[in-house]
Amino acid sequence: MSSDKPNVVCHHCGLPATGAAACEGVVAGGLQRFCCSGCLEVCRVIHDSGLDSFYTRLRTQENTLAPPPDAPSDLDQYDLEEVQHEFVSQLPDGRRSAHLLVEGIHCAACVWLIEKALNNLPGVTRAEVNLARQRLLLEWQPQQVALSAVLRRLAALGYAAVPFDPEVAEGQVQRSNRRLLFRMGFAGFGAMNMMWISIALYAGTFSGIEAEYKQFFHWVGFAIATPVLFYSGGPFLTSGWRGLMLRHLTMDLPIAIGALTTYLYSLWRTLHGGGEVYFDVVTTFIFVILVGRYLEAMARRNAASAALHLMELQPRTALRLDASGQEERIAVRKLAAGDHVLVRPGDKIPADGRVIAGDSHVNEAMLTGESQPLHKTLQARVSAGTVNGEGVLKIQVEQAGSDTVLARIIHLVEVAQGSKARVQRLADRIVPWFVVVTLLLAAATFLFWMRFDFDTALMASTAVLIITCPCALGMSTPMSIVVSTGVAARAGVLIRNGEALEGLSRITHVVFDKTGTLTEGNMRVSRIQVCDTTLDEAQLLTLAGGLERHFTHPLARAIAQEAESRGLHFPAAEQLRAYGGLGVCGTIDGEPLWLGNARLLAQAGVAIPEEIHALRQQVESSMGVAVMLAGRGRVLGAICLEDQLRDGARVLLDSLRAQGMGITILTGDSSRAALHLQQQLGEMRVAAELLPEDKAREIEALQHQGECVLMLGDGVNDAPALARADVSIAMESGTDVSMECSDVVLMGSDLRKLPYAIEIGRQALRTIRQNLLLSLAYNVILIPVAMAAWVTPVLAAIAMPLSSLLVIGNAILIRQRMRRFAETQKVG
Amino acid sequence: MDVIFGLIPGMILLGLAGVLIFFWAVRNGQYEDMEGPAHRILNDDDMDKMGGPERKP
Repeated sequence: MSSDKPNVVCHHCGLPATGAAACEGVVAGGLQRFCCSGCLEVCRVIHDSGLDSFYTRLRTQENTLAPPPDAPSDLDQYDLEEVQHEFVSQLPDGRRSAHLLVEGIHCAACVWLIEKALNNLPGVTRAEVNLARQRLLLEWQPQQVALSAVLRRLAALGYAAVPFDPEVAEGQVQRSNRRLLFRMGFAGFGAMNMMWISIALYAGTFSGIEAEYKQFFHWVGFAIATPVLFYSGGPFLTSGWRGLMLRHLTMDLPIAIGALTTYLYSLWRTLHGGGEVYFDVVTTFIFVILVGRYLEAMARRNAASAALHLMELQPRTALRLDASGQEERIAVRKLAAGDHVLVRPGDKIPADGRVIAGDSHVNEAMLTGESQPLHKTLQARVSAGTVNGEGVLKIQVEQAGSDTVLARIIHLVEVAQGSKARVQRLADRIVPWFVVVTLLLAAATFLFWMRFDFDTALMASTAVLIITCPCALGMSTPMSIVVSTGVAARAGVLIRNGEALEGLSRITHVVFDKTGTLTEGNMRVSRIQVCDTTLDEAQLLTLAGGLERHFTHPLARAIAQEAESRGLHFPAAEQLRAYGGLGVCGTIDGEPLWLGNARLLAQAGVAIPEEIHALRQQVESSMGVAVMLAGRGRVLGAICLEDQLRDGARVLLDSLRAQGMGITILTGDSSRAALHLQQQLGEMRVAAELLPEDKAREIEALQHQGECVLMLGDGVNDAPALARADVSIAMESGTDVSMECSDVVLMGSDLRKLPYAIEIGRQALRTIRQNLLLSLAYNVILIPVAMAAWVTPVLAAIAMPLSSLLVIGNAILIRQRMRRFAETQKVG
Repeated sequence: MDVIFGLIPGMILLGLAGVLIFFWAVRNGQYEDMEGPAHRILNDDDMDKMGGPERKP
């Protein structure tokens, strides 16, 4: 019924509405098609709120929406005072205000829809969306509307929202960025006003100027340069001084020396009423350096939010059962070992413990990366933050709060991030030499000219300090990083931490996580075996798909998807029943069918033929699953599902090996599965059955052997290892936590972008190196001129910006070089 | 030419006023969202008043 209308698109999100989940519904008096029931629901809500013009607005944008995420079931927890305490602030008039992180905001139409729909709710006094940062500022009257009602409204519109405390999340970083912006703005004001003074003074140098005016302009320059130097340039002065005290010379020291000597020399000239002043150089110099620093800060990641995202995995409340069996909702941090808690279907498990009643499938993907839910029965261990499936579980708490596996991971990440040595910058290694040589040359110049007269000696030696202009030196690294980050982003390589670029080019060993990184992380049909002569592959798949299409188990979804992608039509199945951990049964065309594992078939009294048995063992040895379809008293066939390697994984590993890099694969799976992978992918080191802390330890061990380690991962369990590695890369399809811990994110989870990422690191380093050479070459030419006391203000005014422009221009060339690299990649 | 003794401090004062406005704007969150307001100004409510009644059956 669906494939005869191939061009139908979903009325809500614009995606093709032809899949198994597609449905129809009456909205606004007309029959519309939708890609899933979620979209239909959202569209109904939008219509019922009288906000239909959302769609007119949307069509003017190029964006399409995505189908809405599943509505979370535990929104009620946000109404608890104890929970609200963590992120809500009380306004003086009794209203409350909170910041929400909203998922799914794409375009201006979303902003309009959310603001309209929420402002229409009685009790909501303010709803303001920040499109760039996907935030919502909410103010409401707690007597009139509950926070959970607002969140439910958002969920009904297809947006998932999580409250957060912006102060905890990014207060520190934001405040320091804001201070940097203030300083930059002030220096900009100084530099621009100074330009008028400079023009007047230059004109005066050529056509004559009365001493009275010249003196006045000097004092005005002094008035502007002083606050710029001490306010805008303050951080350079203090950090340069601190570096000098600690014998750790950074880029800030030459900047401080350059600015300070220029300023003091000009002040001395002003006081003595003669000669030329360089106040304009001081302000412009500080302004330009601050612009570079600000751009660089924008390209730097926010390390605090990794831990924040991890915290979000933990539910905030739990249903505790007291001695008499009464349920009570309490905040999660009040749980203690020995408590009994109830976990409803779809809820997150609040603490580590053992199941004491009930059975259910639990999705532990966020901890282990394993996409298949595990069947938990009596006495099985469960972990905090994992998601309960279909059954009700009663759990005895063994570890709560900071002792859970999740809390341990958070701790590991924090420790690893804290102890990670910053990539030592090339520029920082050159700087000490640069400072020493400059100071020695200036001293030598002074001593040489002292034999003639003091005035020339002072002028020439300060000219040495000024003309060595650390401006180009200071700009060489930030400019290269900013340009490379921009180029990479356009190619789908998101560089979250610009400093990692230099590290990328030094990598000697690449470590992959298996599930979700090298493999796709979910099951796909790999083989179909038919053992009934009346059926062909397509028919077998049709029957299986018909049975499975209404179930949400990952295997069921994989089978239904495969059937759909082959364009098969599903027959109607009746009397469907799922057996947890076994499979499903139902009737198609009046014929009873079973689909499941060997245990289900044994229950149905069907014997498994030898060929299927052999296939099963073969598939299971590679961590795959064989699902068998039985009917008419015998096995009709088997469908094999395996987690497949990502496109280009093999080519990538071969090319890495060709470059002489070591390769290690880490996995939490059994060593049998790891062995299978090794057979498929060739020579490499494999470590299997690892816990999250083991993964981090493996990385550390490699680092102790002197390797520079690049880690690719996608799960929460990879987070400590990602934080530990020299450079880390996450997949876009991975968890938020892994992305927060990583320096680079591969968009579209395309492994083939890894060589591009490594190449851009190399290009960035090469450009930084060239830039450093350029600024050194500039110094080699101009220092003799300065030592000879030949520097005039006009010469300085031309030469100094020229060096900065050279450095900036060279950085922009990265774009061309990467374009050429992308072309050779395509040909090769 | 003595006029510049008054004009230049005036110029600096004007510039300072600009800096103060910039500081206020940053502190007030004017640069927090660089995309949203550009679109929001086009989303006036006239569109609903004009389009609304016609679409409803």
